[in-house]
Amino acid sequence: MGGSSPCASCKLLRRRCAKDCIFAPYFPSDDPHKFAIVHKVFGASNVSKMLQELPVHQRADAVSSLVYEANARVRDPVYGCVGAISFLQNQVSQLEMQLAVAQAEILCIQMQQEPNLPTHQIDQVDKSFLLSTNNFDNNNIPQYLSFASSSNVIQDPLKRESLWT
Amino acid sequence: MSHSTRCAACKSLRRRCTKDCVLAPYFPPTNPQRFACVHKIFGASNITKMLEQLPLHLRAVAADCMSFEASSRVEDPVYGSVGIISQLQEQIIEAQSELVKTKSEIAFHNAQQQL
Repeated sequence: MGGSSPCASCKLLRRRCAKDCIFAPYFPSDDPHKFAIVHKVFGASNVSKMLQELPVHQRADAVSSLVYEANARVRDPVYGCVGAISFLQNQVSQLEMQLAVAQAEILCIQMQQEPNLPTHQIDQVDKSFLLSTNNFDNNNIPQYLSFASSSNVIQDPLKRESLWT
Repeated sequence: MSHSTRCAACKSLRRRCTKDCVLAPYFPPTNPQRFACVHKIFGASNITKMLEQLPLHLRAVAADCMSFEASSRVEDPVYGSVGIISQLQEQIIEAQSELVKTKSEIAFHNAQQQL
């Protein structure tokens, strides 16, 4: 068996592709663009360090997400992935509003069907409705994004739908 | 006696912070963690290159976005900010399903009323 061809990373970096090359399993030689874009945005040594810090079974997913982020940043050098996040957050907010309106309508229907409901029970129903509208947990999305999505500058992310579809 | 403060980037890279330092406006010395994160994930020279390619009025937003992406990646080294995208997509599917269910309940009640 002759020498195997170098992986895309070692080809680009013009170095010998060792048997234990950290990039080789994830950057095959038939897809040079994949490594090129990750190298352009993150740099080969940063990617190598990131992969080294991860257990082997998580590296494939890490590479996929790095490739996605790098592509997003090349297509949108200002917002990158954050454009898609901003767009999706807006979608979630709109859906939550629509859901709140629909749930209020259901509540009205239910109250119409129970005309004999005592007043204190109606108050309790109102409170539980208000609590149930907080169904979606955005706790780990930093405040920056909710600020940014309301500013004029961030109108662009709404057009970046094609980024991640 | 003047002692000009270096930006977080130049402090970290142990170099002189010139008047036209590309990174200085976006990586103040008061927030060394912000640059440390961005340097760990993207690297100082990549950040500089990416910002230099942008017109001045867009660099602040770009630096903020890169900072967010870098800190997301530090918090979640496998998925980074892509993990947040997946989470949001799941929330959308959940919300849409709930909305369809609620709307069909409303339609059912309205249909019953017309009978």
